[in-house]
Amino acid sequence: MSEKKVSDRQRIEELLGIFSGIAASPKSQLDMYTGLGKKAVGVFPYYAPEELVHAAGFIPLGIWGASGTVREAGRYFPAFYCTIARMGLELALTGVLDRLSAVVMPTLCDTLRPLSQNFKAARPDIPMLFLAQPQNRKTYYGKDYYVSELMRVKGELEALAGKKITDEALYESVQVYNESRAERRRFVQLAAAHASLVSTQARSAALKSAYFTEKREHQTLLKELNDLLAAQPAENPRDYTRVVTSGILADGGNLLKIFDEQSIRVAADDVAHESRSFRVDVPESLAAEAPMYALAEAFAQQTDDSLLWEADLSHRQQHLIDLVLDSGARGVVFLMMQFCDPEELDYPSLKAALDTMDIPSIQIGYDQQMTDFGQAETQLMTFKEIIG
Amino acid sequence: MLFLGIDIGSAVSKCVITDETEAIRGKGLSPGGAGTGGPQAAVAMALADAGAAAGDIAATVATGYGRNLAAAADSTMSELSCHAAGAVKLYPGVRTVIDIGGQDAKVLSITPAGKLDSFIMNDKCAAGTGRFLEEMSRVLAVPIDEMADVAGRAAHELQISSTCVVFAETEVISRMAEGAAVGDVLAGIFAAIAARVGALAKRKGVVPEVVMTGGVAKNEGMRRALERELGTPIHVDPLAQYAGALGAALFASQSGL
Ligand code: SF4
Repeated sequence: MSEKKVSDRQRIEELLGIFSGIAASPKSQLDMYTGLGKKAVGVFPYYAPEELVHAAGFIPLGIWGASGTVREAGRYFPAFYCTIARMGLELALTGVLDRLSAVVMPTLCDTLRPLSQNFKAARPDIPMLFLAQPQNRKTYYGKDYYVSELMRVKGELEALAGKKITDEALYESVQVYNESRAERRRFVQLAAAHASLVSTQARSAALKSAYFTEKREHQTLLKELNDLLAAQPAENPRDYTRVVTSGILADGGNLLKIFDEQSIRVAADDVAHESRSFRVDVPESLAAEAPMYALAEAFAQQTDDSLLWEADLSHRQQHLIDLVLDSGARGVVFLMMQFCDPEELDYPSLKAALDTMDIPSIQIGYDQQMTDFGQAETQLMTFKEIIG
Repeated sequence: MLFLGIDIGSAVSKCVITDETEAIRGKGLSPGGAGTGGPQAAVAMALADAGAAAGDIAATVATGYGRNLAAAADSTMSELSCHAAGAVKLYPGVRTVIDIGGQDAKVLSITPAGKLDSFIMNDKCAAGTGRFLEEMSRVLAVPIDEMADVAGRAAHELQISSTCVVFAETEVISRMAEGAAVGDVLAGIFAAIAARVGALAKRKGVVPEVVMTGGVAKNEGMRRALERELGTPIHVDPLAQYAGALGAALFASQSGL
């Protein structure tokens, strides 16, 4: 191998290492940014337009729970709530979010409404910006309603920032985020194409780190990585067992370690924390004219997601089938977050659609408190033995 | 040429030795699963049974929860693939395998060609597993081996509404305190586990022939309760507990060695 190739590979490893470091310690990122005199705002799931937070001059940081044990949040939630909600509140109650200037809390799922109110009661000192998103998002009245909600949140952010969010600033943030989304989509493809260089854990970390890094910074690093990957020789797609992952989260280190131990790679994903969050761009021409409407329009265009209402599920079924067929995956791994109603409701019809196409699938239950992955390992190992 | 399959479960280790014709030449079973001396003891028993020495083994495959701890194994396979292969060998027409082990329950669908097609496992919960039976054996002071006989003498089956081990224990104790017959309570316990495992099996789809493997398969009361629940005969081979180890030995012989 030429010297250039060797140094390129070293740099790829280095960049993946940087992403892993960031993904493993979001608190250090928060401390780093606030230490530099910047202000950060936490953004809870799902799909709040971070562009608004960014345009107000804050660093948006995604809060999707964390691996660990629910202790303090047990006072607010019974055990049968998902860990996204319980661990999110746990972070707030254990001081991890202390340095945030505020949090934005969307409400696409019924679990998030009580979370928002519990958060308010538990941490009255951290401003909670409630964002009610309409499920009827494609109609003109749905969009008008969403714009009115966004305007309210915009006003609250402006009050916290002590400055107006100008249309120009918002347009610029839209461009930054569109570039980041495109780069992440490119990375998903390149990671699948270069499976020997990008492990399943490394793929997850590169995507997860985007939630804890100012998007321009992340974009610069990810673009460098993507360019290096694109220049690497093509790999044999049969060297690894390729699957499509589907679910809310797919970032538990111990869970993904099993994927790597079994030489399983993600060919494409249907994961809320990953591709579902960056599938759709904000239309830039509209953003140049009316950026708030452009944000509502982008939300209206999001689809194929358990969190987003559709009159019939056939489109989502077809989307999942297409993901498998287009990516050359050999099956689908559903990572089912415990107590997640939206995902559990969609699952039977997705599974049935895959069955009719003879696409093998498996469902693995998990949550962020999980410490014993023995059963998940057995399931994945068997699945691999079946699909080859 | 001999091949060894080791199935290291949560509480018991099982071994089977086969030859190149896939005939069983020896078997061994020892209490003690992952992290204990159980696996070595089971291997020694199987070797003695086959009249063979360790050096006669051409290839070894380990399976079960403790599979990664089997240092002597050439490779590992999941216990689901092994149970499927073992069940097909013991009962060639099988299409559904219900495996109830010490800590989980699994239902496997087998293709007409005898290949594992898909599977379902219970959630991490002792309900519907061997552990549930062990707990009830302790609470009722009836040895596991005698449970089926005692339940067989039941005048009627008591309803045990909870399949959670913790709640069922409380429920069983209060039934006993009310003067219920042990046999009636046991019959209720079998029915409760059968309902739990049956629901899992129905989710997967039950296609006859149905075979039960795993340690709990030995329990006649459990088999009968599950037959009633599913409305179909369930076959249990005398070697049912060895199905995983047998499958592992068969994979060892297919590994090209
Ligand atoms: S969508 Fe599921 S995981 Fe997310 S907050 Fe709602 S219940 Fe929890």
